[in-house]
Amino acid sequence: MSVTFHIPGVLRAYTDGRSQVDIAESPATVRDALLALWVLYPGVRDRVASEDGHIRQHINVFVGNEDIRYTGGLATSVPEGAVISILPAISGGQR
Amino acid sequence: MIGKELGHYRVIAKIAEGGMGAVYRAHDEVLKRDVAVKVVSERGATDKSSREYLLHEARASSALSHPNICTIHEVGEVNGELYIVMEFVEGKTLAELIGNAALPVESVLRYGVQIARALTHSHDRNILHRDLKSSNIAVTPEGLVKVLDFGLARRLSSEVLGEATRTLGPLDSGAGVAGTLAYMAPEVLRGEEADYRSDLWALGVVLYEAAAGQLPFRGRTTFELTSAILHELPPPLPTWIPPGLWAIVQRCLSKEPAQRYQRASEVQAALEAVQSASITSAPPPSDQRGARTTVHRGVPLVHVRSGDVLLFIGTTKGAFVLRSNAARTRWDVGGPYFAGHAIYAMAYDSRNGRHRLWASTQSQVWGTFLRSSDDFGKTWTNPYESSLKFPSDSGVSLKNIWQICLGRDEDPDRLYCGVEPAALFESRNGGETWELVRGLFDHSHRPRWVPGNGGLCLHTILPDPTNRERMYVALSAGGTYRTEDGGKSWRACNRGIRVEFMPEKYPEFGQCVHKIVMHPSRPDRLFLQHHWGLYRSDDAAETWKDIGNGVASDFGFAMVMHPRDPDCVYILPVESDEFRCTPEGRLRVYRTRNAGASWQALTRGLPQKGAYETILRDGMTSDSLDPLGIYFGTRSGQLYGSTDEGKTWKRILDGLPSIVCVKSAIIGQPRTPRKPAANHKRTAASKRITRKRVTAKTKIRRSGRK
Repeated sequence: MSVTFHIPGVLRAYTDGRSQVDIAESPATVRDALLALWVLYPGVRDRVASEDGHIRQHINVFVGNEDIRYTGGLATSVPEGAVISILPAISGGQR
Repeated sequence: MIGKELGHYRVIAKIAEGGMGAVYRAHDEVLKRDVAVKVVSERGATDKSSREYLLHEARASSALSHPNICTIHEVGEVNGELYIVMEFVEGKTLAELIGNAALPVESVLRYGVQIARALTHSHDRNILHRDLKSSNIAVTPEGLVKVLDFGLARRLSSEVLGEATRTLGPLDSGAGVAGTLAYMAPEVLRGEEADYRSDLWALGVVLYEAAAGQLPFRGRTTFELTSAILHELPPPLPTWIPPGLWAIVQRCLSKEPAQRYQRASEVQAALEAVQSASITSAPPPSDQRGARTTVHRGVPLVHVRSGDVLLFIGTTKGAFVLRSNAARTRWDVGGPYFAGHAIYAMAYDSRNGRHRLWASTQSQVWGTFLRSSDDFGKTWTNPYESSLKFPSDSGVSLKNIWQICLGRDEDPDRLYCGVEPAALFESRNGGETWELVRGLFDHSHRPRWVPGNGGLCLHTILPDPTNRERMYVALSAGGTYRTEDGGKSWRACNRGIRVEFMPEKYPEFGQCVHKIVMHPSRPDRLFLQHHWGLYRSDDAAETWKDIGNGVASDFGFAMVMHPRDPDCVYILPVESDEFRCTPEGRLRVYRTRNAGASWQALTRGLPQKGAYETILRDGMTSDSLDPLGIYFGTRSGQLYGSTDEGKTWKRILDGLPSIVCVKSAIIGQPRTPRKPAANHKRTAASKRITRKRVTAKTKIRRSGRK
């Protein structure tokens, strides 16, 4: 079984319009899964992470229903068949 | 004519019918080879002098010997029939190859280089083509280009021009008037003498036609077509065309010859550079193509013509483009582009014949990207990767782009960006790639720079137009820095600028500079709006003097230099750092015309009651027309403008999102706005108005005395 990313609407411009992307390899952590995602779709990377390698402040990443902020960040482990969701936070609207 | 003999040429078959006459395939009975013979018709050379002229030109052109030029073997006259014997070229014309479909980029470049070589060869020998068009360019089955009919068209072009300007009827297709007119340069249409650069215009039309499958300028009538050539900008080429090729075409199609390439060899070199780049770079993977461009569907667009005035409005929730003609009375509004993103910086680059609009887009969620549009907002680049990046080990990441600044005119591929956190980025290739300016980033002061209310940003960039090594930047809060070695090292230049917010009132650095302006004719003199305080330097920022003589408040952000008067500066004060609104609820622009010795409030047409507005540092700009247009936008989303140097103001737009940036551009050659004095009736009317106003004033004064 692979890992599946749920892609928010704004980022589908960079994933050929796909709302779901399957990662065939079995990434151990969220970091590995994201690295695999942006090999497939490089346009996603700079929108999700800043150049210092951090997930952007107003983006939430969930493994299943858990926000990775509370489960170990990028080192959060990814079980087989997990669904990883990338979602804009409600805090991120423009002033 | 078939079977007839002209000298030792036996006519075999008719090949084509052109403007000057018919072309036949013939056999040279002496040299035993096929040739092409152009027999000049009555229409092509009616009288003796024009026949002599044609003979003279054809003989001159026969001196041209180049693999990409169809050789003229002989010019003769038999029984009153003028004929030109040329190399017989097997193949198709470029017009036939194009048909109605774009050629592959590789072919466009391959043919383009050869046409440019032909022009280089002939221009070096002082021969203009004068009628370069796709139907005058033959391509052999081996892909060899042969340019036909060099120098034969002087008479023809004047005739076509005469016909085109006399008639307003529908255009015929293909040959004839339409076939030549569509390639004519604006200066030729204006009746000026053609020169080398008119041939380069025609080359631009041919390249465009080959790349797009259609002509850049079109019209149903000769009037529409000439008007399009004189005023319209060519629609952008398809997205798969390399930007380098599009840039070459745009420069060839600059309305003013001085803005084009000056030599065919330059076009040839530029095409060869794109050719070598496009062969070595692999095409993008098919699954990545979708995101290279952003098309704003359903968003109103502006239709831009040469001579138009454009305003670029950046707001916290998107960008807008406004256009007007030189009268600046009515404005069309395009946008919002990038709805939901904050646009803190916009710039327009017309160097090298470009029409490139730049915008920085900042999303709190998705980050900051630099984008450009070559069609005034219809489509924008959408880069996969952010082109401005701090090194990954620097510990900082890009938050916002506050300023996009063009380099000096003589350095047309240089651009700068001022960003947050405070740093300067530089591009040397027209914005394709960017590098952090390490000299400033590694400055020992940087750890002690502190953010202002807007964040720690570098917002002002001033290259010295007379000294390529010198440049100023300003950052909040850190102050003014100057380089004398092209950016390698930087020195704080804040002597005389008082800071209210630190115990030491005149520190070396730490000033919160809000804006600096400079006049290109006096680059050693700078004007500066500080976080409290207006200043002027007359010694390239070595020392600063307070010039806040009598303004309502010397706190403010926006500052604009008059483009023609180095003593004239406009500012828009706000009350204080506590209360960043226009003082006393009165919206007042202040102007000095004596370099800050005194300031005058400009209020006519601006609300003077209950107007608590904020105008930010890039919220005001001027155009370059005479009389000067000045524009500013407020945080409450109102846009005001003056077209008489600030004497009177009008609200142009209301209800925009919070405005953070206002920039302007004149597209192509500026047209002089109609001045009332040019018209007698208007002069009389305006005199009456002036008299009325004077009367009204006098009355007020008199009643005041009572």
